[in-house]
Amino acid sequence: MHFGKGFDRVIRFQNVNKHYGDFHVLKDINLTIEKGEVVVIIGPSGSGKSTLLRCINRLETISDGLLEVNEVEISNKKTDINDLRKNIGMVFQHFYLYPHKTVLQNIMLAPMKVLGKSEEEAKKTALYYLEKVGIPDKANSFPSQLSGGQQQRVAIARGLAMSPDIMLFDEPTSALDPEMIGEVLDVMKALAQEGMSMVVVTHEMGFAREVADRVIFIDKGQILEDANPAEFFREPKEERAKLFLSRIFNH
Amino acid sequence: MDFIGAYSPDHIVFLLKGFLVTLEVAGISILLSFLLGAILGIVRYTKVPVFAQISAIFVETIRNLPLLLIIFFVYFALPEVGIKLSITWSAILALTIFESAMLAEIIRSGLNSVHKGQMEAGRSSGLSYIQTLWYIILPQGVRRMVPPIVSQFISLLKDTSLAVVIALPEMMHNAQVLNAQNINYIIPIFILVAVIYFIVNFALSLVARRLELNM
Repeated sequence: MHFGKGFDRVIRFQNVNKHYGDFHVLKDINLTIEKGEVVVIIGPSGSGKSTLLRCINRLETISDGLLEVNEVEISNKKTDINDLRKNIGMVFQHFYLYPHKTVLQNIMLAPMKVLGKSEEEAKKTALYYLEKVGIPDKANSFPSQLSGGQQQRVAIARGLAMSPDIMLFDEPTSALDPEMIGEVLDVMKALAQEGMSMVVVTHEMGFAREVADRVIFIDKGQILEDANPAEFFREPKEERAKLFLSRIFNH
Repeated sequence: MDFIGAYSPDHIVFLLKGFLVTLEVAGISILLSFLLGAILGIVRYTKVPVFAQISAIFVETIRNLPLLLIIFFVYFALPEVGIKLSITWSAILALTIFESAMLAEIIRSGLNSVHKGQMEAGRSSGLSYIQTLWYIILPQGVRRMVPPIVSQFISLLKDTSLAVVIALPEMMHNAQVLNAQNINYIIPIFILVAVIYFIVNFALSLVARRLELNM
């Protein structure tokens, strides 16, 4: 399988700042993500990592700077945001499946309404991705009948059904029971191996170490480290990152 | 008490005629106030500039006035500025104004009760705001709105009796006409009127319960 539509540089932040009133959430962010890269963003809570991720599909607007996705300026008001979002899948911490729709309907909605696929075509795609995330038997269930891990896998299938260039994951395993984290990470790992461009905010250091091409460490709205995971986990350069890692691994 | 005299065929027909007026006025008002209330509620939820503010002012003003005042206003004050409506349409207009404000609040809060993550999930998949509202937010909100909306309709049906003050020939009005004939009719007539109101409104709430279960 091949993802992407020929852009080498899928995401680019250039001197991006974001303020919530007086609070400076993102400080002078510079970050470029290439096609097929898996970038994991880590950092203490409140550091701005989710905000950074949510700026990429304009769930949050930036205050100044330049932010491009597939070389289209996402910060520009003239940009057709719905058109751009077709290419950016998003997976949320709390899944946000549509509770009034079956699993299949959840996955089929956007391909039909946004891409204009026929019902038959959308269903075929939906079943394909359900198979891929390992729960084809749940096609006609409602989200409330699924476990958290299954719901999150449906959410991933829902994102993939739009054939996006990029997948964003906002703490995809943080709301899951420990025994369900593995099944979601496995799906993400398989996706990474197929060459999907991924930006993942997570606390799963094992995933970061094993799957990521790069680890971004962010604190107080600033990118403090942008490193190869092996190096980062062996020897973080920044004092703040050392402290963060020691707190995580000493428990 | 004169049950036999009070329940003469003529009297029953007279009361039922009144009840038809009640149903007619309530039915039209329910339809109109639902449409207006839905528009006001959705506009306020979506925060469309200017329209949302107008809706908010309308809703907050009307909700804090007694229905009786609005009925008097429509029937006695509007003709002063050249708008003269029949008794029936005055009652319908007053009820529509009042109930649409109530329904607008029910609809707005029903939509607000849908988690904002649902909007984010819809929008981030490329659906437009309107599409997300239509396919994702509204269907979830409506489920939660049905019980309060039906109880508002029941209130409306009962509130038509307030139009007795402008002599709308609805059931309460006709009951009073009969009671004026003979003091011994009062208790039997009020019992009958109460039974009719109860049956219809109770049936409505049963329908609502069915709807809720089916959703």
